[in-house]
Amino acid sequence: MKTMEVRLKVNGEPKQWTIAPGDLLLDVLRREGYFGVKRGCESGECGACTVLIGGTPINSCLMFAAQAEGADVLTIEGLAHGDKLDPLQEAFLDYGAAQCGFCTPAMILNARALLDRKPHPTEEEVREALAGTYCRCTGFRKPVEAVLAAARGSGR
Amino acid sequence: MFDTVEAFYRPGTVHEALRLLQNGKNRARVVAGGTDLVVEGDRSIRFLIDITHAGLSYIRRRGKACVIGATTSMAALENSPAIRALAGGILARAAATCGSVQIRNMATVGGNLANGSPAADTATPLLALDAEVVLADARGRRKIPLTAFYSGPRKTKMLIVEVAIPALPRGARWSFQKLGRTEGDISLVNAAAGLQLDAQGRAKWARIALGAVAPTPIRALGAEKLLVGRKVDQSTLAAVCEEAAREVRPITDVRASAEYRREMCRVLARRALEECAAATGCSL
Repeated sequence: MKTMEVRLKVNGEPKQWTIAPGDLLLDVLRREGYFGVKRGCESGECGACTVLIGGTPINSCLMFAAQAEGADVLTIEGLAHGDKLDPLQEAFLDYGAAQCGFCTPAMILNARALLDRKPHPTEEEVREALAGTYCRCTGFRKPVEAVLAAARGSGR
Repeated sequence: MFDTVEAFYRPGTVHEALRLLQNGKNRARVVAGGTDLVVEGDRSIRFLIDITHAGLSYIRRRGKACVIGATTSMAALENSPAIRALAGGILARAAATCGSVQIRNMATVGGNLANGSPAADTATPLLALDAEVVLADARGRRKIPLTAFYSGPRKTKMLIVEVAIPALPRGARWSFQKLGRTEGDISLVNAAAGLQLDAQGRAKWARIALGAVAPTPIRALGAEKLLVGRKVDQSTLAAVCEEAAREVRPITDVRASAEYRREMCRVLARRALEECAAATGCSL
C-alpha cells in the first residue's frame, strides 16, 4: 500500500499523519481518535460526519484526507475551551436538544459556522443550517430553539 | 474505501493538472468537491488530481461576459453579488438548491456539469443563459456551447476550466423552477427560462431549458421557436408549454414516472414563462 504524509491542524493542534492516497478524511479522523466525527451514510446525505474547515462545514465522508493538507479542521472535540463549554453546547443541554446524540456534534458544528458568520440568524436561517444533518430521534424543534437561544445569549 | 488509489496530486496550475491527467491515461481522475466522485466509488481509479488549487475558483467580468472558474463552489455562486444580480439571480438560486449547506460548500459548478447528470441544477439556468464551456487538454483550449458539450465531449478527457456567460439580451426576464422532494433534493424536474418582449408584447427572444427529463439537460427548441414572434398571452403559453412537454424524453425511475415528469415539464415551463412575463410587467 502506497502512503503519503498530510500536515494539517486539528482543533488548533498541528498534526502530521501518514495516510493512504485514497483515504477519506472521515476515516483518518476516526482512526486518530476523533470519534465525535460520526460515520453515518457515507454518501453526503446524513451530515453526521460534518467538520469545519477554516470555519466552513463540509461532509468529511466526501473529502479525501489528502485534500486537508494545510487545512484548519475543527471537530466537536475542539469546541469547548477546557471545562468551559461553547454557548451552543450549553444551549443544547439546557433545551434537551439531544437524544441519542449521534447527530449532535454535526448540528452544533453547523450552528457554530452559522453563528460565526451571522450572530443573529432568523429561525429560517437556523433551519437551513441544520437541514444537512439528519436527526432520527428528537426532530429539529429543540435544536432550532437551542441555536436561537445561544444566538440571543440566553440559556434557559 | 479507495484503496486502489496510488497517488494523490494537488497541482497548483491548470498546466500541471493537464500533464498529470495525460500521464495517468485512463486511470487518472480529476477531483474537486468530491460530492459525486466519492459517492460513485469507482475502483479503477489509480491517480487522483485535485484541481481546487489550480486557480480555477473565481467569478469575474471579462468584457461583456461573466466568467466562472470551474472549481467555484455552489456556496460561492449563491453568495456572489455578481451572480445574484445576473439574469434575475437564476444561477444563484439554482446553486442554492444543490444539496445541503455542507454539500454546497464542497460541490463545484465544473463538477456539476462534468458529472453529466440530467438533473444537474446549474445546467438548466446555464443553458438558458447560452453559457459556453472552456475545455482544456495538453494541446490547448477550446470554447464550446454548453449544448454542444452535452451532445459530445462530455465523455472525453478534456478538463472543464471555465464557464462563460455571454452578454444577455437587453431587458430579458428570467426564471428558475425546481420540483424536488425537498428544496435541496435532486430535481424530479427543473426548468429555466429567459424571455425578451418587444413593445407590442410579442416574444422577441426566448430560452426554455429543462432538466431531468431527457438523457441530458436540454433546451426545448421547438417550444422556443413556437414562442418567438407571438404575442405572449395565456393561449400562447399553453401551446408553448404543450410543445415543451411533447419534446422531452423522460424516463421512469424511483423518483417519478415518465408520465409525471412530462406533465411537470408543462407545469414548470408555464410557471417559468409566467414569472418572466410578470417581471416584464406584461399582464397575461
